[in-house]
Amino acid sequence: MFIAIENVCFSYSNSKENAIDEFSMTIEKGEVISILGRSGSGKSSILRILAGLELPTKGTFTIGDNVLFSSNIFVHPEKRGIGLVFQDYALFPHMTVTENIRFGLFRLSKKEKEKRIKEVLELVELTGFEKRYPYQLSGGQQQRVALARALAPKPNLLLLDEPFSNLDAELQYKIRKDLRDILKKANITSIFVTHDENDAHALADRIVKIDKGKIVKVGRPCDMLGMPIKQEVMQ
Amino acid sequence: MKRLMINVNSWTISASCIIILLFLPNITILKGIFVPSNENWEHLKKFVLQNYIQTSVILVVFTAIFSIVIGLSLAWLIAQYQFPLRNFFKWALILPLAIPPFIGAYTYHGIVNYTGVIQKTLRNEFNITVNPSFFDIMNIPGAIFIYTLFLYPYVYTITRIFLSNQSASLIESAKILGKGPWQIFFQIVIPISRVAIIGGSSLVILEVLNDYGVVKYFGIQTFSTAIFQTWFGFGDIETSIKLAASLMGFVILILVFEKLFRGKKQFSFASTKVKPLPLIRLVGLKALFATSYVLIIFCFAFLIPVAQLVSWFILTFGKIPMDEFFQHIKNSVFVAGVSAAIIIFCALIIGNFSRIVKGRYVKILPKITVLGYSIPGAVIAVAVVTTFITLDRFLTPLYAVMGIDSKLVLSVSIVMLITAYIIRFFAIGYNAIESGYDKIGTDFSHASRILGAGLMRTFVKVDLPMMKGAIISGFILVFIDIMKEIPLTLILRPFNFDTLATKAFQYASDERIMEASQASLFIITISAIAIFVFHYLLEKGPK
Repeated sequence: MFIAIENVCFSYSNSKENAIDEFSMTIEKGEVISILGRSGSGKSSILRILAGLELPTKGTFTIGDNVLFSSNIFVHPEKRGIGLVFQDYALFPHMTVTENIRFGLFRLSKKEKEKRIKEVLELVELTGFEKRYPYQLSGGQQQRVALARALAPKPNLLLLDEPFSNLDAELQYKIRKDLRDILKKANITSIFVTHDENDAHALADRIVKIDKGKIVKVGRPCDMLGMPIKQEVMQ
Repeated sequence: MKRLMINVNSWTISASCIIILLFLPNITILKGIFVPSNENWEHLKKFVLQNYIQTSVILVVFTAIFSIVIGLSLAWLIAQYQFPLRNFFKWALILPLAIPPFIGAYTYHGIVNYTGVIQKTLRNEFNITVNPSFFDIMNIPGAIFIYTLFLYPYVYTITRIFLSNQSASLIESAKILGKGPWQIFFQIVIPISRVAIIGGSSLVILEVLNDYGVVKYFGIQTFSTAIFQTWFGFGDIETSIKLAASLMGFVILILVFEKLFRGKKQFSFASTKVKPLPLIRLVGLKALFATSYVLIIFCFAFLIPVAQLVSWFILTFGKIPMDEFFQHIKNSVFVAGVSAAIIIFCALIIGNFSRIVKGRYVKILPKITVLGYSIPGAVIAVAVVTTFITLDRFLTPLYAVMGIDSKLVLSVSIVMLITAYIIRFFAIGYNAIESGYDKIGTDFSHASRILGAGLMRTFVKVDLPMMKGAIISGFILVFIDIMKEIPLTLILRPFNFDTLATKAFQYASDERIMEASQASLFIITISAIAIFVFHYLLEKGPK
């Protein structure tokens, strides 16, 4: 077991109800997990809690031997060593592709930085786009830059928030396959949230289905095939 | 507790310190209410306080009514109709805001008095001598005339933008249902513009209560003039604090009324979807009437006073030593620049604190600092002086150690004036910065932090470059307001320190109206350019 999430609860300040209720799971190194649920089910809240952007009311979260939060510990997002690809990518608009990727590598030497930038650009097949600004890229290219930026500092865990929601249907199909290849090639443990069962089935090693902040079912994609997910989970 | 521990960082500490410092002088005023009253206060209360309240209420009520009538009618004409020169007037009608009311007041007085252009022309060219009292504007109706002319753009701008962007579907529905233009105006336009009208007229009211220049020049007794008079005339700071507290109570009452009047209606038009109102082309007499009406307002509110100032400027050119004039420009630019820079710097810290720190109650804190703009300059002046004198008393032993003879150091320095500007105009800078932060959202800074950057690195490398527009527009707005400011500068400036505004006011008060034109025109030109650029950018900006 590489990652352990235990009994995590979370509620928003303007609500008494738990948005996340006793969420627990373990993840093996290199595993790709999909959290599947309809909008408002709490799936994005889980990502934000794991990234350190929200403070859970209860629970623990450990990666390897490091406790990232518990009843008396809270590690700030910049110290967690976690990568996150935002739904709308959040690429810094005033920085080029290279500068965006370099941003998270400030602890490396100049030579190491350039080497790593080259590696991740090759990984996401964007060599030649180094000097472009985000607005000069297509939606699919922007997503690849966001992925490269998140992978560059070699995070212990990669989180992806609805990675395909901003892409058109044709591109979604192509990028699903590419993304799985990239994640597997990088051998990185990842969790991505989605409302689309096709994304979950195409990408994940395991699917965690949630509703109203609670885990409803966990299983391999093939185990979930019989489930009427579309009717239950989709909007 | 855990949340508190997580939220405590250098941003929280700096922001809390700034908020406390900005709010501290207001506590002095509020405390003043509970100090036992003295003879002066009893006298004022018994004989003149009622008069101050009455005058202030008359000024506020009538200026608000006339500003609404003019502002709303202009906004409706520009938003709904196409007529000759409409595109020019759309922008030109904002320009009167560039003329500080006190400059408008002495200019109009100069135009209509016995030696002014009107009476002189009537006497010399037509041999007509009129009763001078007929042209006397140095009274309450005259002040209302001046305030209305130079403050109506607040109602006009807010209402026009609202009508142009938000009202299309409602007005089109009314037309389809067979309503005529007057019915649409009274049954649709006025009710749906209520929030915009109240927002604009509240600004007009606050400006009237804050004003010192017009009422002082016209010799009208209001709260502002009374505060100064008790302070400098009687040397009675306790009574002036009590007056300031009463005025503050008055302002709080107005703000409460504003909230009540707005009610929940403000949520009805929260849509950010902009559908421009299609223009109706006016022809013939209707077009002539529309153009003439707008032109008359524009002439009275901008063209005539500016033309008069230009003619005075030509007549007096060279009479004012240029080195003195440049010194005043330097002083104005210095205090406005330094204050605006500090305001923007503090606003960036408080704005960022408000984004980083979570919690409902924490979000309310920055709102306290915004109160300063609603508090009239006279009240802030009293509050700041009292605080600085207390501070000087506290620091006297330190001054002695440093070998400084005087007991008053800070309270006679420019630091006091700059502090007062910061308290008074913080809201303007903060609003610009806050809307800048709102526009960029939190995803970029979250992305930065997840990539390992701390709060400071995130602020410098990510937030600041993306906030460039908001920083520039906030700086311009504060800078211009300080350039035009009168009451605070008059009271709190160090000895022998003049700005363009104080010099213009001083010349006008000394009946050297013509000499006041040079400084006035300079202020108007700079303000007009800034106002035009700001509104142009605002309208052109991303919707």
